[in-house]
Amino acid sequence: MTTQLPLVDVTDVRKVYGKANEKQYEALHDVSFKVQAGEFVGIMGASGSGKTTLLNILATLDQPTSGSVKINQQEVTRLRGNQLADFRAKEIGFIFQDFNLLENMTAYENIALPLSLQNVSAKKARPVIEKIAATLGISKILTKYPTEISGGQKQRVASARALVHQPSILMGDEPTGALDSKSAKSLLDTMTTLNQEQQVSILLVTHDPFSASYCQRILFIKDGQIGQELNRGEQSKAAFYQDILGVLGRNEQQ
Amino acid sequence: MGVLFKLSLTGIKSRFKDYLVLFSGLVMAAAIFYMFEALATNNSFIKANATFSLAPFVFQFGSVLLAIITFVYILYANSFLLSMRKRDYGLFMMLGAKSSKLGQLIFLETLIIGALSLLGGLFVGVGLTTLVGQLLISRLDATATHFTGFYLPAMLVTGVFFLILFVVAALLNQRVLRKTPVLALLKSAAQPVHVQVKPAKTIGQIICGLACLAVGYVVMRYIGSLQILGIGVALVTIVLGTYLVFNSLFTWLLARLQRHENFASHGLNNFTLAQLNFRIFDYNRMLAMVTLLFALALGAITTGMGFQKNIKVYTQSAPYDVVLHDPTTTVKQAAAKIDIKRQNHYTYKVGANVVYFIRDQFDEQPLNAQKPWRKNQVAAEYQSIQGQQMTANSELRWQQSLQTLLLPQDSQKTVKLVTAATFDQVAGTTQHLTTIVAHDFFSDLPAIKRVTKLDQQRNHVPATYALGTTKYDMYQMMNGLLSGFEFMGFFLGVAFLAMLASCLMFKILSGAANDRLRYRMLDKIGARQRLLRSAIAKEIGVLFILPGVVGVIHVLFGLQIFTTTQLLPNAYHDLWLPFLIFLVLYSLYYLLTVKLYQNIVLRK
Ligand SMILES: Nc1ncnc2c1ncn2[C@@H]1O[C@H](COP(=O)(O)OP(=O)(O)O)[C@@H](O)[C@H]1O
Ligand SMILES: [Mg+2]
Repeated sequence: MTTQLPLVDVTDVRKVYGKANEKQYEALHDVSFKVQAGEFVGIMGASGSGKTTLLNILATLDQPTSGSVKINQQEVTRLRGNQLADFRAKEIGFIFQDFNLLENMTAYENIALPLSLQNVSAKKARPVIEKIAATLGISKILTKYPTEISGGQKQRVASARALVHQPSILMGDEPTGALDSKSAKSLLDTMTTLNQEQQVSILLVTHDPFSASYCQRILFIKDGQIGQELNRGEQSKAAFYQDILGVLGRNEQQ
Repeated sequence: MGVLFKLSLTGIKSRFKDYLVLFSGLVMAAAIFYMFEALATNNSFIKANATFSLAPFVFQFGSVLLAIITFVYILYANSFLLSMRKRDYGLFMMLGAKSSKLGQLIFLETLIIGALSLLGGLFVGVGLTTLVGQLLISRLDATATHFTGFYLPAMLVTGVFFLILFVVAALLNQRVLRKTPVLALLKSAAQPVHVQVKPAKTIGQIICGLACLAVGYVVMRYIGSLQILGIGVALVTIVLGTYLVFNSLFTWLLARLQRHENFASHGLNNFTLAQLNFRIFDYNRMLAMVTLLFALALGAITTGMGFQKNIKVYTQSAPYDVVLHDPTTTVKQAAAKIDIKRQNHYTYKVGANVVYFIRDQFDEQPLNAQKPWRKNQVAAEYQSIQGQQMTANSELRWQQSLQTLLLPQDSQKTVKLVTAATFDQVAGTTQHLTTIVAHDFFSDLPAIKRVTKLDQQRNHVPATYALGTTKYDMYQMMNGLLSGFEFMGFFLGVAFLAMLASCLMFKILSGAANDRLRYRMLDKIGARQRLLRSAIAKEIGVLFILPGVVGVIHVLFGLQIFTTTQLLPNAYHDLWLPFLIFLVLYSLYYLLTVKLYQNIVLRK
């Protein structure tokens, strides 16, 4: 593991909101960590702790005030214009909390979008889309529109869209946040399968310990700083869950 | 009420840009309407300028047409206003506001917006009228001393007309608001409509639509005999046909393209198709309306310019450029400046009831006599005849032609042709008549005008008197009438185009908030900026091109009205020029809309 170059390499990332003449707020303070290929990493923290800010920077949706973010050895904070767009289109798969599906297109068309952006022909796209849809268990609803399916199904469609172009890493910002517990569990199970059987690297942001217990490693973020790290190792999910609760409890007492 | 009023003001502030579009559309409508009224009814303008006597009639006709279209336009603009406010009002209702209170509020809001745009419109209108009035004056080659853009009666007419319109609109809004359930108000923006294309229904509509259009086109061909009935039938069938064709053909075309996977899966094509499909019902209605406005605008500009061509045709039909009566040396010197092709000198004597000419002079210098009028003839035609041919048989032709050359006091008298010997014995002084034909009337126009004026002064002829057979007088007369038509055509065209553009903008802007989210998302999954921009350009392009194509077809058939009624016998000649002008204006509107939309939707 240690000899391998990291998939994600974050060094001293700072993010300050507000322009020079306005009131300033430091949302991230010297954040550094690494993620190896094939890992399933969680970023956990209370609301307002800077999780979304961090993930958006990793996903190139936002830029840090200072610091470096390397994904696949490529410095992403310096990407601009077309390079930036192409990087997002090829390397990143992103699942948003609020699904972010286009409600005027069918599930199939939504999933196909990243492939269309790379001008993959319709013929080549079809089997790829059908395969990912089968993996996520949404083969039956591909012709439906987002308004016609449930929240859980929407998030699966969103996941399929995030995975269809085989990105280097899948990122999710509280993807289970808007789901009922059953749908949340089944989505997390699917993610675990993807991670274990297809070696998809996953970075999951959450404030919910149950979701976090699916990860192998958890970074705790508090007031814009990474405080603690927890490794699941060979533990069971249930035991890991208890560990997480323990950390959270200690954090609260501080 | 106080709190609600404040809330509704914040609502307006937050959508200020949209209101600006609405407001500018309404202001332009009122300004143009005022201009037409002012030009049509301003008496001081008319009385002081003899050549303008026909222009007001022309503009009155235009303002009736404009009134009808403005009415439809205001209703449309109003529905845009309502669509902007629906959500806010839904929220107010959720918060417990009574629907009757909200009814009053929307009533007030509509009226205030109406009153403000009316004031703005009158203000802009006065400026516009001054400008156009000056243009018209210089074009008609007249000097108007009394003309100002401010004309109270026209203000009153415009004010009353628009106030009535806005009261109607306000009542409609109030009604809709009271009838719509809260939930529908809240969700009115983003409910997608998934259109199921039913082949049988679509084919039925295509056939019906095309049949309606065919009937309309044929009716326009025979408008001469059908008259008012024909206009009514054409209006109904074409409006209906346009709508049906869009409703069926457009829907069908989109469905086809979506099924065409290689096309759809390329770049953002599928997204663009989905965007169009998403609002297809709204779009169909709007496209039909825009098509009609497009056809009216292009038609107005084309016929306006056609009338300009007619001025040339009529002018050139007159046989002489200018006629001199007993010219003094000053007159002769002025006439020498004209690049003369041919000039004839005749002598004549005036008796109590008879004017005498010498027959021999016409053998040497034949007369241009008017040919008998044929059916379907546009302008008078002339043929040159010699003295020997000027017999009793052909008397009607040469009598009249000669009479029109004489001074007003002599033009009613009988003309007699006599030998030189007889002529000498007739009592009275010998007078001289000189007819001049220039090489090119239009290039010598200033000189010819000067000579005509000098001849009028020399013989104490009033400036308004027209000799029927000189190009100059013909030009003056036709210019007065047809330039009026041309101007009106052009301004109606621009007015319709402005309404068309704002209709499109209303529609597009009312979806902008939702589109912003969509384009944001596409940006997040890695669509290049250029691709996003081109997707917008394509989507809006479709909304501009479709009405354009159908509108052009309407105009091509519609021009028949003018050829069959002989109003514009050459309506189809040189069509490229008005079409090109229109295309340029339309493209500018397109580019403006695209830029505006890109700024709204893609702004970070
Ligand atoms: N665009 C912004 N401008 C200013 N402050 C922001 C902005 N986005 C987030 N913040 C602030 O940064 C902090 C971290 O926010 P966020 O990353 O969204 O937290 P989390 O996702 O962990 O709930 C919060 O205090 C929030 O108020
Ligand atoms: Mg967050």
